Amino acid sequence: MELICSAMGVCTPERPGQGIADISNAGFKATSLDIGMYCSGYELEHHGGEMNGFDKRDKNPIIENPSEMSSCFEAMLAQCEKKGLHTLIARAPFLLENTKRTDLNELLFQLSEESIRFCGDASCKAIIVQPMFAGIAPEDEWKVNCDYYLRLAETARENNIMILLENQCRNINGHLIRGICSDGTIAAKWIDELNDRAGEQRFGFCMNVGTCSLCGQNMDEFAATIGQRMKAVVLRDCDGHEAAGLLPFTCSYGRQSRTDWLSLIRGLRKLGFDGYLVLEMADTVAAFSPLLRPQLMALAKVVMEYFRFQIEIESVLRKYRHIVLFGAGNMCRNYMKYYGEEYPPLFTCDNNKSLWGTKIGEVEVKNPEELRNIPKDCAIFLCNVYYREIEEQLRNMGILNPIEYFNDEYLPYPSFEEIDAGGK
Amino acid sequence: MLQIGVQTKNVVNDREPDKGFAILKKAGFACADFSLNGYLLNSSIYKAERNDFFNRTVSELEDFFRPHKQGAKMAGIVINQMHMPYPIYVPNGNKELNAYLWNEVAPKSMQICSFLECPHMVIHGFKLARLLGSEEVEWQQTEKFLDFLAPMAKEMGITLCIENLYESIVGHLVEGPCCNVHKVVERIDRFNTRYGAEVLGFCFDTGHANLVGLDMEKFITTLGHRLKILHIHDNDGIGDLHQIPYTFTKTRENKASTDWDGFLRGLKTIKYNGVLSFETAPVLSAFPEAMKEDVLRFIASIGEHFAKIVDF
Repeated sequence: MELICSAMGVCTPERPGQGIADISNAGFKATSLDIGMYCSGYELEHHGGEMNGFDKRDKNPIIENPSEMSSCFEAMLAQCEKKGLHTLIARAPFLLENTKRTDLNELLFQLSEESIRFCGDASCKAIIVQPMFAGIAPEDEWKVNCDYYLRLAETARENNIMILLENQCRNINGHLIRGICSDGTIAAKWIDELNDRAGEQRFGFCMNVGTCSLCGQNMDEFAATIGQRMKAVVLRDCDGHEAAGLLPFTCSYGRQSRTDWLSLIRGLRKLGFDGYLVLEMADTVAAFSPLLRPQLMALAKVVMEYFRFQIEIESVLRKYRHIVLFGAGNMCRNYMKYYGEEYPPLFTCDNNKSLWGTKIGEVEVKNPEELRNIPKDCAIFLCNVYYREIEEQLRNMGILNPIEYFNDEYLPYPSFEEIDAGGK
Repeated sequence: MLQIGVQTKNVVNDREPDKGFAILKKAGFACADFSLNGYLLNSSIYKAERNDFFNRTVSELEDFFRPHKQGAKMAGIVINQMHMPYPIYVPNGNKELNAYLWNEVAPKSMQICSFLECPHMVIHGFKLARLLGSEEVEWQQTEKFLDFLAPMAKEMGITLCIENLYESIVGHLVEGPCCNVHKVVERIDRFNTRYGAEVLGFCFDTGHANLVGLDMEKFITTLGHRLKILHIHDNDGIGDLHQIPYTFTKTRENKASTDWDGFLRGLKTIKYNGVLSFETAPVLSAFPEAMKEDVLRFIASIGEHFAKIVDF
């Protein structure tokens, strides 16, 4: 799984130095190319009219001439190269969701086509191209978008880029509801049909978590419906009512997050998701002082690693032929309950002498000294929140086996008694 | 022209039900959504508090509701739909309560429905997806309950109606049971084929749809003939407020932030010929008591406006 931090809000294409350095110094190896950084929805909305002082540019060079795109991002790409930051994924320009411009669809096509060429030059692997929606009647959505995407397919093929469709919101006088591609069943059908017509796997899906949250969607179900078509996931937090790009876990209320991270993690785990995990947090970045930016980006990096850890928890278990556990408390019990049958440990161990020789389920609790005798390829899964302390203890014992962390914060399903009310 | 209905809650009381039905008729309603759930409130069930209302025998319950039945008939009001008390299953609740809800409340509700000659009974699917780990497993439990009721429904000529619901994540309302229209369609068809009768249908709730951002037009169009009844009400997209349509706006343009146009287009497309039923009882507690009849008249007039648009 590739962890990607969008540069949107972190830097501008004109002055990319510090922002790109902040992303890189935080430990990210990749960023995304948001063409909207230089060609925003607001600018598209006012194309041909007054900008009301929102932007200092009188005319947007990319909108005026899409082939100018690469020169506009020249400095940013050079900075990425200098810092060893890959640009794996891009986002094509898009209209505001409450746009009144129904006359820009051909311009959007030109911008998307040029974005794909630019992505090819920048060695991107995929680009998010949002569906056309402005001025399109519901009954024409598929036809218009089918034509649109297939027109882009040839350029995408030439540049070896995968086009990702993304779930959208629709704006009903300020209330965001489910828009095009937010019905997973329909989105999956679209992708399959596009790939059939393109004669190759040229199209995939990007699930935008913020959009799902705004539309109150069950992300576990959504991910299951999209299935292996899911190539990217955009992580952004919000309050579920207003669109925002916030760092995950920062929009909380009543000591709980407003975004349903449980259903997201369950869904991506079941899929075995291994694509691009893209962080978009322009609003959080804007709220923090630039003085705090390096620390913020470092936090963002560990948050992303945490998501990868949670999503991959079962695939990490699958990696090993033999495992043992460390810990004989509730986390160990949860391990045994949810994973013990599929991935049975040889034994567990604990520093508490009084537990040695007892059993948790079928597994015996042993002295940690027993870890000296396990096979070399056997991994030790720590089932105790004192992860770092225990890891240090084991390394100090000279144990060289792989050490992994187990975690029970997002279980497949919690403890629940069988429904037995039944009928008479 | 489509008929207009509204909840009996806050209008029809047990002391003089005939007067309440007469008020509904005078306000312009031809149908009523009988608020059976008012006799065992969800807020009580969740607290494991159970009154003794459903301890009555079926015969006693019929005696209790006879004045309501007569009152509706006298006023010329058809009881078109009713709501079974909910939930019927409390996750991690005590076994005795759950057995009582399932084995006593649910079948007796069906008996009352039949007695009142009501053709549609709304039931809530079980909210268990987060607990059980998947919506599919959740549905299996709801289907088990539907299977329990279906033979009774078939015999009584009642269509059980599942409804799109929501769940709460610290106040953020997200989709609950029956929000995936493709699954709903497949399940209703499969169920009815199995029973050889239309024992299962759908109740589309506009307020719940608005809370979880469903595309009403697409949802209704996909449902088609399976849509049997409606719960029409409005909210701010945040809380389940059960207010009058067109109440809420979010921008300076002051246009309705609920997609009423899409809702009506959907009904028109599928040639909906059921009742336009409003689930707006909370409106009546918000307005002064003295304005009750005016408010009901206003709700009915919105129904008439809807009917003109949907009429095909």
